[in-house]
Amino acid sequence: MKTVLYVEDNEFNRKIVRQLLTRTSYRLIEAVDGEAGVTTARDAVPDLIIMDIQLPKLSGLEATRQLRADPVTAPIPVIVITSFALAGDEEKAREAGAAAYLAKPYSPRELLQMIRQLAPES
Amino acid sequence: MGPNENERRVGSSGPVPGTTSGLAERILRLLLAYWPLGPLVRRVAHIRASVHSKLLGAFLLIAFLLIAMGAMGLRSIASVAHQSRLLDQARERVDATRQIEHALGLQMSFTRNALLLRDDATIQSMFRENNTFRDTFERLEAGAGSEQRETIARLRTTQDKVMATVGRIAALIREDKADEAMTLHLDEGTPLYREIATLVTRAVRAEEAGMGQLRQGVEATYRRALLLTGGFAATSIVLALGLGFVISWSFILPVREAEGFLGRVAKGDFSASIDVPNRDEFGALARQMNEMSRELHELYDAQRRAAHQLRVLNAELEQASRAKSNFLASMSHELRTPMNAILGFTEMIRDGLYGEVPPEIQEPVSDIHTCGKQLLGLINNVLDLSKIEAGHMELALGEYLVDDIVNTVKLSLRSLAVTKGLDLVTTVPPDLPLCLGDGKRITQCLMNLAGNALKFTREGRVEIRVEPRGESLLFAVADTGIGIPGDQIESIFEEFRQADATVSRDFGGTGLGLSITRKLVELHGGRIWVESEVGKGSTFFFAIPVRVTREAAA
Repeated sequence: MKTVLYVEDNEFNRKIVRQLLTRTSYRLIEAVDGEAGVTTARDAVPDLIIMDIQLPKLSGLEATRQLRADPVTAPIPVIVITSFALAGDEEKAREAGAAAYLAKPYSPRELLQMIRQLAPES
Repeated sequence: MGPNENERRVGSSGPVPGTTSGLAERILRLLLAYWPLGPLVRRVAHIRASVHSKLLGAFLLIAFLLIAMGAMGLRSIASVAHQSRLLDQARERVDATRQIEHALGLQMSFTRNALLLRDDATIQSMFRENNTFRDTFERLEAGAGSEQRETIARLRTTQDKVMATVGRIAALIREDKADEAMTLHLDEGTPLYREIATLVTRAVRAEEAGMGQLRQGVEATYRRALLLTGGFAATSIVLALGLGFVISWSFILPVREAEGFLGRVAKGDFSASIDVPNRDEFGALARQMNEMSRELHELYDAQRRAAHQLRVLNAELEQASRAKSNFLASMSHELRTPMNAILGFTEMIRDGLYGEVPPEIQEPVSDIHTCGKQLLGLINNVLDLSKIEAGHMELALGEYLVDDIVNTVKLSLRSLAVTKGLDLVTTVPPDLPLCLGDGKRITQCLMNLAGNALKFTREGRVEIRVEPRGESLLFAVADTGIGIPGDQIESIFEEFRQADATVSRDFGGTGLGLSITRKLVELHGGRIWVESEVGKGSTFFFAIPVRVTREAAA
């Protein structure tokens, strides 16, 4: 059973992914800010991380960078959810070490597709 | 001021024009530093007269000296000529005196002959010389001095006595009184001859003394002339050299001063000012240069202050820009997060994630989704415009195919066209090259124009055309809609504008689409325009370079 970590501060968006994954074999763990995201990732070592770009305490990009720098969490693929806020968000996500990125608002269908691609259900 | 300081000053003022050698330069510097020439140069510089007048004055002074020298020479020549004439006259008088002596000698010898021969011819010859005496005395008296005149008068008296004696001797001889004649000759004639000889000698001596004095006078005049000429020549040379040196250096010094000064000004040192004693054109020039330096200084200060203010302002602007940029990023995120939930939940409902959707719920769920998408479009437009205004809109340049863009637009708008019963036609030439630009943004532009065309057209067609135009691509979107009145064509690309306020009531929309489109086109280094006729329709054009470079993108 694959574990997916979703780092997102908005309860409703966490709820979407939670409900999206209920009928799948993925186990979802959640974190509400960047720091918690990094700590949870180190403790639980999930198979995939979905990281919102803008988070309290520690930005999604910085959190991703820290995870890539840690040998324990470095191999975990990260999907960064960008906001199309400024030009170059995508480049920044890639530079931080994201395996893929998805622009908000994303289609739950597409997100599920991406999750299955990066961490196939066993 | 020592020579070393001089060296430094010469060195600091940079290369000096006209410097032939370092040694000559050093000698000139020493002359200026140690001789009274330095103060003299400053005094000449201080004279309130133009350069022209100074040079003219110096030349005239030297010319005057030469003229004076010539006049003195002429005077000497005249004096020598006069003395020579006097000498000649004296020499003539000496000759005449000697002639008298000679004639007397002859008379004496004739008298002696007459005493011996006692013939009449010889007696006649005794009187022959008398005429000679008369002429000679006249010549002697002309031009003789007072002393001479006395001697001549005595000579004449003695001569008269001799004539009388000779007459009496001749009479005695004719009377055959030879003894008496002889006695008369010896007693009276001979002493008279001796007296004449003495007088002649005295006269000759006196004349010779006079001649000696005259000769000395001539020599003195000659010597004086020589000295005067030499003196004048030497003075002229010294004056020419001195004046030349002093006047030229009174010009060279301010020029060098100016050179050094301008060098400092050129290096941005405005604190220096040029100080020359000149009250001529160079002085005026120096004043102007000081004025210039002051002006430059003020300008420089003003410019520095302005630059500082600009820097401060720039920093403030940068900070404001950063704040705006942060606000935009945060706004974008904050708006999208709930939109994500709304659209996400709706999609999952429609996908049946929560079970089968009852048919009566399907339509409202679909409506929520449509409105959500619309709201997202509005949010995107407002954010795009804000980004453009803040200067944060950057193009993501990449290669794209015009076909892909046109197809994307056609696919997105086909359902709307079908709903409204309009024809949506696209014309793209088959041989267009691979283009360089921000494909997503160009798609957005074409989508805005075509979407507007469909929105403002009730019946007829909407055509999307693409044509290559040299180095540019021309996109055209033509409709058969309501058209735009001529007086509103100019303002149609401005923010929050629609051709008519009633338009937004009838057709909806915020009027942001065209403004964003124009700015995106301009970012690509292109331009946008519209041709329209009210009631017949409008055609929107935009042209962008086939290959957009970072430099071309404004």
